[in-house]
Amino acid sequence: MPEVKQVEGKNVEVNSQPKSSAIRNEEKEIVVKIKRFSPDKGEWWQEYKLKVDRFTQMTEVLRRIKTEQDPSLSYRAACHMAVCGSCGMKINGAPRLACKTLAIELTKEYNSNEITLEPMDLYPRVKDLVVDLDDFYERMYKVKPRLYPSEEILEGKAEHRLVPEDQRELWKFAQCIWCGLCVSSCPSVRNDAEFLGPAAHAKGYRFLADPRDTITEERMKILVDSSWRCTYCYQCFNVCPRDIEPVTTIKKTRAWSSKMKDKTKVIETGEKHINAIADTIRKSGKLLEAEVYLRTYGLVQAMSDMLYMLKSGRMKYTLIKEVPVKDLNDIEKVMKGDEQ
Amino acid sequence: MEKLSYDAVVLGAGLSGLMAAHEIGKEGFKVAIISKVFPTRSHSSSAEGGIAAYIPGNSDPNDNPDYMTYDTVKGGDYLVDQDAAELLSMKSGDIATVMERWGTLFNRQPDGRIAIRYFGGQTYPRTRFVGDKTGMALLHTIYERTSGLDVDFYSEWFALDLIRDQERVRGVIAMQMKNMTPVFFEARAIVMATGGMGMLYRHSTNSYINTGDGYAMALRAGVALKDPEFVQFHPTALYPSDILISEAARGEGAVLINNKGERFMKRYAPNKLDLAPRDIASRSILTEVKEGRGFPGGFVGLDLTHLGPDYIKERLALAYEAAKSFSGIDATVEPIPVRPAQHYYMGGIDVDITGTNHDLRGLFAAGEAACVSVHGANRLGSNSLLETLVFGRETGRTVADYLKSTSKPSSSVENIELEKMLDEAYSFVKSESGVHFGEVQNKLRDIMWEKVGVFREEKGMQEAVKEVKELRQQVTKMYVNDKSRVYNTEFFNALELRNMMDLAIVISSSALNRKESRGAHYRLDYTQRDDENWLKHTISYLRGNTVEISYKPVKMTKWKPEPRVY
Ligand SMILES: Cc1cc2nc3c(=O)[nH]c(=O)nc-3n(C[C@H](O)[C@H](O)[C@H](O)COP(=O)(O)OP(=O)(O)OC[C@H]3O[C@@H](n4cnc5c(N)ncnc54)[C@H](O)[C@@H]3O)c2cc1C
Ligand code: SF4
Ligand code: SF4
Ligand code: FES
Repeated sequence: MPEVKQVEGKNVEVNSQPKSSAIRNEEKEIVVKIKRFSPDKGEWWQEYKLKVDRFTQMTEVLRRIKTEQDPSLSYRAACHMAVCGSCGMKINGAPRLACKTLAIELTKEYNSNEITLEPMDLYPRVKDLVVDLDDFYERMYKVKPRLYPSEEILEGKAEHRLVPEDQRELWKFAQCIWCGLCVSSCPSVRNDAEFLGPAAHAKGYRFLADPRDTITEERMKILVDSSWRCTYCYQCFNVCPRDIEPVTTIKKTRAWSSKMKDKTKVIETGEKHINAIADTIRKSGKLLEAEVYLRTYGLVQAMSDMLYMLKSGRMKYTLIKEVPVKDLNDIEKVMKGDEQ
Repeated sequence: MEKLSYDAVVLGAGLSGLMAAHEIGKEGFKVAIISKVFPTRSHSSSAEGGIAAYIPGNSDPNDNPDYMTYDTVKGGDYLVDQDAAELLSMKSGDIATVMERWGTLFNRQPDGRIAIRYFGGQTYPRTRFVGDKTGMALLHTIYERTSGLDVDFYSEWFALDLIRDQERVRGVIAMQMKNMTPVFFEARAIVMATGGMGMLYRHSTNSYINTGDGYAMALRAGVALKDPEFVQFHPTALYPSDILISEAARGEGAVLINNKGERFMKRYAPNKLDLAPRDIASRSILTEVKEGRGFPGGFVGLDLTHLGPDYIKERLALAYEAAKSFSGIDATVEPIPVRPAQHYYMGGIDVDITGTNHDLRGLFAAGEAACVSVHGANRLGSNSLLETLVFGRETGRTVADYLKSTSKPSSSVENIELEKMLDEAYSFVKSESGVHFGEVQNKLRDIMWEKVGVFREEKGMQEAVKEVKELRQQVTKMYVNDKSRVYNTEFFNALELRNMMDLAIVISSSALNRKESRGAHYRLDYTQRDDENWLKHTISYLRGNTVEISYKPVKMTKWKPEPRVY
């Protein structure tokens, strides 16, 4: 007979006896193709065959290849529980943590018993799946990744109590494990040397938003300009194995622009862009690309870009005539709610 | 060989190493931290449950540091040095508060004070936590803090061996993994903060990198390990990755079942059932498997299904998530596959409560690498994170004082000696044939698991000692395929295996020697604790192929041994 227990105020039915007893398992032979690399031998693909069961993590696949088949294979792994950030790589072309990926699930997801492993993009290769993360670390250090509390607090003469709501908000973004996956897949990092990258923004925001920190001005200088250089492609959101949402911290950092005294060109342009978007939506309920563009970059810049677009055949998109949506009032209400 | 000079070198960038380095660096000394992984990849990041701390004004009103010491002493089956446990309790509140000020985002009470929860073996609740990622939160905080100081980090540098003269430590040889260049780090003081050794066992909750390097380096430098036979096992590690499934699951009503669907704990602990202590539950699970009632692969089921999806997702979120991500199991509809696994090493480099080793001047140790003896024969949950920070700080302060009062040695270390050490390490790269590390490593892990594991008895351990000796012979003939001079992990795995061998022989010999059952050391042929003969610390040296064992009294202050019943 089910018994009723209280869980956080709710009644929940609980059976006193377990109802299932068997654990299904299955086995499969997989082929693992690894992109190998060494400075002396260059690059080549190598194949390994092994049996895995339903529970086999990709880090275990690697460990078994190394101890049982080919000791010369190099990769990084430590915790095998997705907290140390060592095992970032490209698995079947997608950036993932090897330890958080089960071999059999991959074979189902891709409908193939072949699994490919490659080093993360962007970073220089060192050997096989090991990449050089120095550039990634540099980005992290640039945001001064540490709390600077007041002297009084450090010496224990004062106390600054962090309320649970603040703790929850900050902890979400503090959980970055420095795996580097998001940066390896961020287009803005590739194209813009001034952009700090998603992970550094997550770290930076965690301290910018901490009410106990004392170097807010300096953090704004470091973070705000960079935050306008993200293209909002959401790659970082999709790949982060800890669900940090680096792009959310970038959005939140942009909101600090209004507090900046000396705004850079990038910030000004960014703000104009956002205001223009808001205006066009207010007017038509839609994002009017052409108008936003014109207002953001000014007429001269827009004209020269349009010439380029004409040449490349993309002009037609800007010439589409936009009609306002119905229910514009509702949209306005939503936006007002958002702005408050 | 290139030489770099420091006042102090800290080996290991987990919680204990970073804390020690912070204290030394803060005093203006030149300090280097060497770690074979980037600091935040250290094993400390895996700790889940929390850190024990009695915080005056923010603890149970009935609690006090004395209760905390008592819990620790009793939990450790009276092999704990009581002065060390007292220090641990006394400084617990301060250290937790320091971490909070440095930015650790501890879970909060509604009024903003640090929240608290119960852990096994505590008279009053005193575990502080950051969700289920306490280790990660603390490690990141202290790394962030320490990297802001003038301290030199050598990440992905592998330490090979300590260098000493007749009476004092002179430095350490380490190799940058990226280009395999060896460097002699000359130093007046060395802190061993190299963490644990789970890879010695076929099943372990530890990181792949926990290969006991520090213990072996100390042994080779002529330094003793204290209580090396004490290895803790946890009953419910997720199959097959051995990720820890917290005791909380059974606390909330999860039930262990065998392949017949039987709730087998009724045979082993008719009253406590699934809530029997860690060691009993571990032994019961292994008995089921041995007698053919486990599942293929060698595990049993931890069944939550009867609790219902709502209850599971509310109260056992971590167990549910871990089973899902790492074993593809939906714990609301089928049992979680679990088995016992090695979890923690109570033994370690013999140091006193200041972190000083007395075999070798200038050598210090902290964290899991050390045995200050706050855990005795069995560590209480959430006491280890506390130990890394409290004794990491004590050790750092001791080293700073030591540096103030000691001068530089007058002679310099002979290059010949350094080259000899290096040659020894290189021997298996130079060999063109022999065994591979993988073969030997798998054998070693099986021997340790079967014969020096959860169950121990005379015959098995004798065999283990003999077999490990043979494997140690084989290891000298090990050979490395990969001759590359870039990030050659095969070479480092071979060095790690050499370290695992040196430690294994000491663990198995010391375990064979202790003829009683105490804490995690359980013998089928001596099932009782024997205070009359065995209430003493084992002190083990490694000389060639023999382990020399002597004893040291346990330091007692207030607490007289009593039976460990809960
Ligand atoms: C799954 C799990 C959960 C746990 N949960 C808890 C908990 O909730 N509460 C608790 O109190 N304890 C817990 N523990 C125990 C605790 O996490 C560890 O005991 C503690 O983190 C050890 O810290 P450390 O500083 O001694 O070493 P580590 O963090 O292991 O660091 C060791 C360092 O040494 C370096 N190193 C090692 N060898 C070499 C070498 N040859 N050359 C260079 N560098 C080297 C490594 O790179 C690393 O930086 C848990 C343990 C496990 C396995
Ligand atoms: S959303 Fe921004 S930070 Fe994230 S990947 Fe895209 S460009 Fe990079
Ligand atoms: S933000 Fe996420 S993906 Fe990026 S480094 Fe941190 S944990 Fe990895
Ligand atoms: S091994 Fe630590 S994150 Fe995968």
